[in-house]
Amino acid sequence: MSMINIKVAAIEQVTPLVKHFTFVKEDGSEFPAFSGGSHVVVSLDIGGRIHRNPYSLMGSPEETSAYHISVRRQEHSRGGSVFMHDNVTVGMPLKITYPVNLFSLAKKGRKHILLAGGIGITPFMSQIADLKRTGADYELHYAFRSPEHGAFASQLENSYGDRVHCHVDSIGGRLDLNGLLSKQPLGTHVYVCGPNSMVVAVLETARSLGWPESHIHSEQFLAPPIGEPFKIQLARSNKDILVPSEMSMLEAIEAAGVEADFLCRGGVCGRCELQVLETDGALLHNDHFLTDAEKASGRKIMPCVSRAKCERLVLDI
Amino acid sequence: MERGYWIRSKPVYSSLAWYEKATAHLVVAQGPGGMAVLKLFQQMHPKQPITVLYAKADSGADFASILGKVVPEGLQVRDNQEDVLAALANILPSMYMGLRLYVTGSEGFIWSVAEVAKAHGIEDIDIMKEVSTTLARSVYCVHCKTITHNITTNIGKCAGCERMLFVRDHFSRRLGAYMGLMVDAESPGVLPEIEEIYP
Repeated sequence: MSMINIKVAAIEQVTPLVKHFTFVKEDGSEFPAFSGGSHVVVSLDIGGRIHRNPYSLMGSPEETSAYHISVRRQEHSRGGSVFMHDNVTVGMPLKITYPVNLFSLAKKGRKHILLAGGIGITPFMSQIADLKRTGADYELHYAFRSPEHGAFASQLENSYGDRVHCHVDSIGGRLDLNGLLSKQPLGTHVYVCGPNSMVVAVLETARSLGWPESHIHSEQFLAPPIGEPFKIQLARSNKDILVPSEMSMLEAIEAAGVEADFLCRGGVCGRCELQVLETDGALLHNDHFLTDAEKASGRKIMPCVSRAKCERLVLDI
Repeated sequence: MERGYWIRSKPVYSSLAWYEKATAHLVVAQGPGGMAVLKLFQQMHPKQPITVLYAKADSGADFASILGKVVPEGLQVRDNQEDVLAALANILPSMYMGLRLYVTGSEGFIWSVAEVAKAHGIEDIDIMKEVSTTLARSVYCVHCKTITHNITTNIGKCAGCERMLFVRDHFSRRLGAYMGLMVDAESPGVLPEIEEIYP
């Protein structure tokens, strides 16, 4: 996969847990244009092991001299976000993928309701810029724990005025989803990005109010979970490899020098799907892409986030 | 017809069925389509608000008086298609997300309703549609751009340029019409057999 060489131009601590990184191209040229909701995958070399984490681009799509991402520090995870917080410094060179959009706005929508929870605000930062620029009807509801955790809240209020509604949990500002979604005009689309409980609540509320699936949009990148180590066999590459507990199958395949397709690395897009040729154990599916029937069939697996509990797993790669 | 062959743009219609999660129901029917509406009420009488817009038939069975008995409130009867479309355009701005739209009648009627619905933010994939009368097709002439209605044969004459058109399965949702191509362009006057296949 072709990558863009960048260097870190600025780092800003936005909240106690969130840092904002500004990237410029190493050769000083403009970045490719992107659309609201796009993300890039950042490659990090952590002690010789390559981590690749997806982050939403949160600058305005009109600005291509720099890309902006924000990273929430996740203490009990595999270390990518902690490395971004503790080890990445201004001037450091990094590699990122070209932007991909798996969370685009519905162009035919007549009204757009953006629902963000915590760090889930990031994809909306670029979308809201697109909505304002095109003169669309929109509102953003941003829920966060307490005032000091509302990353970019005042910046959003300054730029988008009363289109922005902040719901601060610690001061009793809970978002009334049922009230919000029950009286929306025809042609409204709803978008949600945030913690799993919030995404599920929005999907269930919209469905129970009769909203068609085509008007409900969500994005939820999963971090590859830590699990028991297991062995896999790559049939076409003729390799036997071990997937360590803190590495995903996809990362282990890449570390063994086998080129694998990917886009989101978060169990959403389906690009890295592999055929399971043989196994003597259970597949532990963690993705949002395969249907329940596909998961039950045991014939396919998404190596970016899923694991297995087995002695033998043969993959068609 | 070739087996296993399928044109993606050709619409697939179903039988009307209530969408139980809807917060309101709007049923639009034309002429003999009244029967599909009666069948819908045979399934159940939903608790959510229901509106039925009915266009009286030019010919054939008329269900206005029976519908008046089955749909106690929310029934609006109009004399023709144009008046029903106007009533629909009047109602939609006061409706909210969660409304389900059901349409039954001729294919041409269905896509006229879909056009009004689209202007108010309802995409055609979210409309439940049942063809309840003829299979007759509206055909768009790719040569002169005229749409000829009620073609029941595999080959029909364009009402605009009088070319003989082969009626394809390729369908335009925007125009509500199938594609028609001149059938004898290479050997003028030599026509395949003309058969009624869309009665």
